[in-house]
Amino acid sequence: MESSEGTGGLSGEIEVEAYRRLFPLPFYERHLLESVRPDARPLNRARDTTIALGPVASADGSALVKIGDTTMLAAIKLEVMTPSTDAPDEGSLAIEFQMPPICSPSVRPGRPAEVASVISKQLSDVMMSSEMINLKELSLISGKAAWMAYLDIYCLSADGCLFDAALLSAIAAFSHLQIPLVSVNDDGRVIAVFGELPEAKLKLELVNKEKRKLSLGSKPFSLTCILHEEYILADPNAEEESIMDTFVTVVLDSLGQLVSIYKPGGAALANMSTIKACIALTKSRVKELNNILSESLSEMEVD
Amino acid sequence: MATNPATYSPSQSLERRQQQQRRKIFLQADWTRTDGRSFHQCRPAFMRTGASNAASGSAYAEFGGTKVIVSVFGPRESKKAMMYSDTGRLNCNVSYTTFSTPTRGQGSDHKEYSSMLHKALEGAIILETFPKTTVDVFALVLESGGSDLPVIISCASLALADAGIMMYDLVSSVSVSCFGNNLVIDPTAEEEACQDGSLMIACMPARYEVTQLTLTGEWSTAKINEAMELCLDACLKLANIMRSCLKEIAS
Repeated sequence: MESSEGTGGLSGEIEVEAYRRLFPLPFYERHLLESVRPDARPLNRARDTTIALGPVASADGSALVKIGDTTMLAAIKLEVMTPSTDAPDEGSLAIEFQMPPICSPSVRPGRPAEVASVISKQLSDVMMSSEMINLKELSLISGKAAWMAYLDIYCLSADGCLFDAALLSAIAAFSHLQIPLVSVNDDGRVIAVFGELPEAKLKLELVNKEKRKLSLGSKPFSLTCILHEEYILADPNAEEESIMDTFVTVVLDSLGQLVSIYKPGGAALANMSTIKACIALTKSRVKELNNILSESLSEMEVD
Repeated sequence: MATNPATYSPSQSLERRQQQQRRKIFLQADWTRTDGRSFHQCRPAFMRTGASNAASGSAYAEFGGTKVIVSVFGPRESKKAMMYSDTGRLNCNVSYTTFSTPTRGQGSDHKEYSSMLHKALEGAIILETFPKTTVDVFALVLESGGSDLPVIISCASLALADAGIMMYDLVSSVSVSCFGNNLVIDPTAEEEACQDGSLMIACMPARYEVTQLTLTGEWSTAKINEAMELCLDACLKLANIMRSCLKEIAS
């Protein structure tokens, strides 16, 4: 009986579901020997990914991303701020990642999940260092007014690879972002002119007539892999993440340049060849994600 | 974040002006609603169960511009600090996303709605069926487009049914706004901002029992009767939609 090596004393018949619960690691290892995962994926395949643009009507840009059962809703709201004196012609970006209690049984109200603030920080680091967004484009009037882009990402359902899904939703929301037309009133405050009467539109001088969309630089995409012995499992779900504890997250931009590698501890030491293998897997995933994103963007233009 | 400079939304002044215009309109006896509905017509209701896989049960509801997700967890172990209890406990929490309102909010918990949701559902759930344990009902308002609480209550009861929690009946909820002599059902956020009074009913239509009734503002007794009839009738119709949604999943 093959199962006895992992189960110790238990011999003979045991139901599959019970075996999975009692001995998760041996259960997985027996699958890995056959180069397949319990959800029928090959080891290096990511889950089905969909992007829906503009689900939040009250936001300036928004996206709903699903990677398997992990669901992220990202929305950007633009507000006006006075730029700092160090960078008078630059706007700003504030990213927050939230895990409301609806997303997972382990999150309770009033106690924000620790992982949420870690992912928040990682997201801002990646967005800033990839230079996808030119903060100068968020400027309205040099030294007087600039856009502050509030990007809020809500995890609606947590099933592994939260960072990957959050980053993808952030990129998609920025691709969808439409900057509202604004003008300056007599008090020096910036006001929106959307939906205003046409004669008022003529009277007021538009500040940002030609800057309705940000020209995004090369976009960062990421893939998380689990390292377990000699196996590399791409895009793990929550169950896999809870059983095997060594992750590597690789972020590449759309040109294939490395933005960041993140390996938070874990039992297995990652050597150079496994890291290289992870980067190779991420490269093909970036192509895939880039295609999915441009497809949903072109669909939006057709509508 | 404390480090962020003070910001403001450029559409604030525009909204304020629009609201003032609308307030004038609402004073008249006859006006048309911005979404083209008649006064006694509800927004089209879209409801689906199984919005989140991590939960024991969940539901998504979209009534016009109001979008809500509710997840139900449990019955599971009560908090350690809780006293022993023969009956089960119900724990409710309602929160808003920061982008749910036209101007960016704080995205914090809504204590008042959490408590009202608890009170509206409590009477419908057979708490004796899960002694010593707790059922958690968590709601997240993705977009607030008016009549938020009634939508949350209806969606939560659907999620409870999806989780297989024993209930006497589904709870459906509808609200009515009062403008002078006019009664407007299922008001939008703009209408709610200018209303003279409001009435909300949460009820179990099959048993014809009311679990929650709130009334605010100025009302005459005759108007209250009329509004209650209107609400109960709409609750019955909404419960039918919810029931067919559950049947669809089962078949």
